[in-house]
Amino acid sequence: MTDPNIDFSMVLASAVHDMKNSLGMLLNSLDELRIEHEPALVGSNKFNMLQYEAERMHNDLVQLLGIYRLGENNLSAHIDEHYVPDFLAEHLARHTPLLEGLGIDYAIDAADINGFFDEDLLTGVLNNTINNAIRYTKSKILLTARQEDHELVIGVEDDGQGYPASMQHSGTPDFKSLDFKTGNTSLGLFFASSVAVLHQNGDRTGRIALHNGGTLGGGVFEIRLP
Amino acid sequence: MMQNLRKDSVNPFGKLTFLVVDDFENFRLSMRQMLRSCGADKIELVAHGGPAIQYCTYNHVDVVLCDYNLGDGKNGQHVLEELRHKKLLKRSSLFLMVTAETSKEMVMGAREYQPDAYLTKPINRAMLDKRLGSLIRQRNALLPVTREIDRENYPEAITMCLQALPQQPRYKTWLMKTLGELYCQVGDLAHAQKIYDDVLNQRELSWARLGKCKILLANRSLDQAVDSLKALIEKHPDYMEAYDLLAEGLEQQGKALQAQKVLEKAAEHSPNALLRQKHLAEVAGANQDIDTATQAWRQTVSLGTHSIHDSAGHYLSLAQSLSDLSEGNLDEEGAEKANEAVNVLARMQKRFPDDENLDLRSRIIECRVHAGQGQNQEAERILQEITPRLEPITGFSAEVGVDFAKTLFRMNQATRARQLLSELAAYYEDQPDVLQKIESLMDEPVGFRQKLEARGLNRDGIRAFESGDLNAAVEAFQNALTIVPDHAALNLNLVQVMMKQHDEYPEPAILATCKRHLDTLKGLPEQHRQHRRYLALQRKLQGLMQ
Repeated sequence: MTDPNIDFSMVLASAVHDMKNSLGMLLNSLDELRIEHEPALVGSNKFNMLQYEAERMHNDLVQLLGIYRLGENNLSAHIDEHYVPDFLAEHLARHTPLLEGLGIDYAIDAADINGFFDEDLLTGVLNNTINNAIRYTKSKILLTARQEDHELVIGVEDDGQGYPASMQHSGTPDFKSLDFKTGNTSLGLFFASSVAVLHQNGDRTGRIALHNGGTLGGGVFEIRLP
Repeated sequence: MMQNLRKDSVNPFGKLTFLVVDDFENFRLSMRQMLRSCGADKIELVAHGGPAIQYCTYNHVDVVLCDYNLGDGKNGQHVLEELRHKKLLKRSSLFLMVTAETSKEMVMGAREYQPDAYLTKPINRAMLDKRLGSLIRQRNALLPVTREIDRENYPEAITMCLQALPQQPRYKTWLMKTLGELYCQVGDLAHAQKIYDDVLNQRELSWARLGKCKILLANRSLDQAVDSLKALIEKHPDYMEAYDLLAEGLEQQGKALQAQKVLEKAAEHSPNALLRQKHLAEVAGANQDIDTATQAWRQTVSLGTHSIHDSAGHYLSLAQSLSDLSEGNLDEEGAEKANEAVNVLARMQKRFPDDENLDLRSRIIECRVHAGQGQNQEAERILQEITPRLEPITGFSAEVGVDFAKTLFRMNQATRARQLLSELAAYYEDQPDVLQKIESLMDEPVGFRQKLEARGLNRDGIRAFESGDLNAAVEAFQNALTIVPDHAALNLNLVQVMMKQHDEYPEPAILATCKRHLDTLKGLPEQHRQHRRYLALQRKLQGLMQ
C-alpha cells in the first residue's frame, strides 16, 4: 500500500523535528540528573556516554533538518553582527557539564572582536564540532577566534590524533563522498561546509578547513567567514 | 554608568525580577533552580499566557523567560505581543523566547514585535548563566536609551543612541537598528535612510536593506523599492517581513494581483501571522478572489482567538465574504456557506458583547444572506426591522451605510440604494477611501462573479478600441453593461467609442444611443471620479446633436 501523494521527505522532516525536540527534553533531564546526583555521577562513564551520544544524535538531527531546508531552498543565512567572545562562551557552556564529567580541559582564546554571521547556523556548526572534538581529544579542547585577511576565523582545536590525511582539505564535501559503510558519514562536515558557503560578502564566500597541529597539536577545524 | 557596571558584575541577576512562563511544571522548577544558582532571587513562575499577562499588569518584571509553546491558549508570541502592545512590559525589560526550534523565522514568522533574544532548548545552567549574563550586561549598557524610549521621549533616545555608538561598539548593531526605527518614528526619513546606507555601505545586511526599502516606499520610489525587495527575497526566501513589504509596494504600484501572489506565498511559509492573513484577505477581496479572501478571513478570525489584534471587523468581513460566496448558490455548498456566515456573526456577538453596533451590523449582512438563499420572507422581515433603526444613516459609520446600501441592492431596492449612496457621497466628500467604496458599489452592485465577468468584458473592449476595432469594442462594452448597467466608466467608454464611430459614419441612431447611456448617469454624484468626464462627454454630445 503506497500512496503516491505522500511527500516522503516532508514526512521524514516532520519525524526528525519531533525526535529532535524529544532529545532536547532528554538532554535537559540529563543535565538535571547530573546536578541532582552530582557525587554519584561524577566520572560515571556510562552517564557521560549517555549524554555524549544523546548530544550527538541531537546535533545530527539539527543538521538533517538544516540540510532538508537547504534542499527545499528554504535556508538562507541571516547575517548579523555579534560579539564573538560572548558567542563562543555561550556555546561552550552548553558542553561544560559533559566536559567536566569527562575531565576534559577547555578554554577560549578569542580576540575582542565583532563578527558577521548567522547565529543559528553557526550554533549548529559549533555544537557539532565541539561534540566531535570531545570524542577525539585526549585531554583538552580550545575554541579560537581571530580576524585574518578580512575573514572571521573560528576554530575548534583538540590534542587528539588529528584528522586522517584523506580528510584534510578545504573543499566542499558533497553527498557522494559520504561513506555510510565506515560509519563516518561526514554529515557534520557537509553541513558545516554548506553553512560556510551560505555566508557571502560581496564576491567572497565562506569555507571550512581541516588540518592538524594548532596550539594543542591535534585536529584543527576552522570555519572562515568573509 | 561605570559604577553600575561594576556593581552588576558582582551579581547581575540579584537585583532583577524574573518571570518564567512554561506549561511544564518540571521545566518551570528547573528553570527556577538554574536562575537561583545564577544568583537570581526574585523569581515568579506561571504556567500560561493569561496569568503571565495578569502578573505583568500589576508587577514590574525585568526579565521574562517565556516558552513559545504553552499548550492550549496563548502562545509565547501572543504573550509578547500583548505585553508590548499594552506597554505592560517596559522596553528596558527583556523578553526571552524559549523554544525548541532552530528555525525561528519559519515557526513564528516575523512580526511587529520581536523578542530580545531566543533561548534554544536544551538549556543548562552554564549556558543560561553566560547567555543571560551577557543579555543583562547589554540591557544595563543600553538603559539610557531604552529608558527614554519608555518615556516616549524619542529625540532624547536618539541623542542617547548617538552618544552610545562610540562608547559601546559591542552593541553597534542594536544601536543602528534602534536609530533607524527611532528616526522613522519621529518622521525623519532622511536620517533614517542615512543610517541604513551607512550600514549597507559596510556590508549587505538584510535588516538594513529592508529598512532602506521602507524608506523608499515612504518616499514613493516604488519601482526601486519593489526591485530591491524582490532581490532580497531571492536571496532570503525565508525573510517574511520582506514579503509583507513587497506586497505593500506592489499594491501601491497598482499591481494587486501580484501583491496577492506574494502574500499567498508568505502565508504558505508562515501561516500563523494574523496581520499577514488579514492583509491577504483584504488584497484578495479587492481582486474579487472571494474564495481566497474567505479562507484568509477564516484564518484571521481563528488566529484572533488568543491575539491582541483580534477584532469584530474580521468576523464581519468573513461573514460578508461568505455571504458573497453563497449568494444565489442554492445547492448544498451555498447553504453551508450561508449557515457559516450566520454562525460567524453569532460567535462575534458573543465574543464582543459590549459593542452595541454589532447586532445591527449582523442583521444587515444576515438580510443579504437570506435573500441570497431565496428566503425572501425572512430577508424582508429583517429589512423591515432594521430600516427604522438606521435613520439617519449619517449617524453611523460610512462602512455601515455602504453595507446597508449593498443589502438594499440585493433586496431589489436599487433606487433607494443609490439615493443612500449619493447622500453618503455628499457627507463623506473629503474622504477618498470612503468615496472609492461608494463608487465601486454604485458601479457594480452585483455579485463578484458578475463583477469579474463585466471587468473582463471591459478589458476586451478597451483592447479592441486600442487596436482600432470599434465594432468589437462597442459589442464588448454593451455586453458588460447588460451585467452592470449603471457602471459609470463603462457607460462613458461606450459613449466615447460610439462618438468615434459617428465621426466616421454619422448616423442619428448612434447619437440617440449615446444619449440614452449618458441619461443613465444622471444621478452620478459630483464626487464620483468619472463626473468630470461625464460632463465633458455630455457637452460634446450636445454639440454633435445640434
